Amino acid sequence: MKIKRRGPLVRVDIDSAESGILIDLLDDFGAMLDAADPGDAVTARNPVIQRLFPDGYRDDEDAAQEYRDLVVEDLRAARHARLQVCRAEIPAAGGRVELDLEGADRWIRVLNDLRLAFGVQLGVSEETELDPADDLAQIYGWLTAVQDTFVTQLMR
Amino acid sequence: MAATPTLVPRPDADTIGAEIAEFDEAAEADRPWVTVVWNDPVNLMNYVTHVFMTVFGYSRDKANKLMLDVHQKGRAVVSSGPRERMEGDTATLHGYGLWATIQHD
Repeated sequence: MKIKRRGPLVRVDIDSAESGILIDLLDDFGAMLDAADPGDAVTARNPVIQRLFPDGYRDDEDAAQEYRDLVVEDLRAARHARLQVCRAEIPAAGGRVELDLEGADRWIRVLNDLRLAFGVQLGVSEETELDPADDLAQIYGWLTAVQDTFVTQLMR
Repeated sequence: MAATPTLVPRPDADTIGAEIAEFDEAAEADRPWVTVVWNDPVNLMNYVTHVFMTVFGYSRDKANKLMLDVHQKGRAVVSSGPRERMEGDTATLHGYGLWATIQHD
């Protein structure tokens, strides 16, 4: 993926293999978000859901539950909406996506959501050295490189 | 041309005293809440800086310093104010995938 910012526009060039991978990742992630009810105590124990929808309060379970009741459904819906818009922008056979800064903000958030989900599944910690032969680790490494370039371009 | 002088009645001392007491109470209730961002091993350093700039409108220097605090000290207070606003800030940061909590200062 090549990402280049020119003033208020960000151009993202995606090849067909990358399009295929991203679309699959977003579809899987979308299905997981659909199935999850982060406000429900049982699914909230899913570690990926826990990471995407963290407690708002650390040492006060009542306040944490109130916060969950207040915001979690909105957060889930907003995540899903961002994902759907990005998904629709990806040219299936590869090609160029032109984004304004708002669109770019949406993309880095969606990419970051994917990285968080993979990070949890891979058990990433500060000391982790990922196995380059592992498929998940390869995708995580690729998403990280894309995200890093994207943010670097946005901050120029 | 000069501004037309207006006659402002002088408030009596009791009213002022009551207003100050009210202000102090509001400050007492509003001040102690903060939004804290915690270190996590996945979010990229430049992404976290970018989020602080985008969400709070902080300068690059301030956002970068806060990001380094999170990274090196494990946490940083990124905003403070009334509880409801801190819950809003925390929800916004959760929407960006940052690990944030609300607490008393």
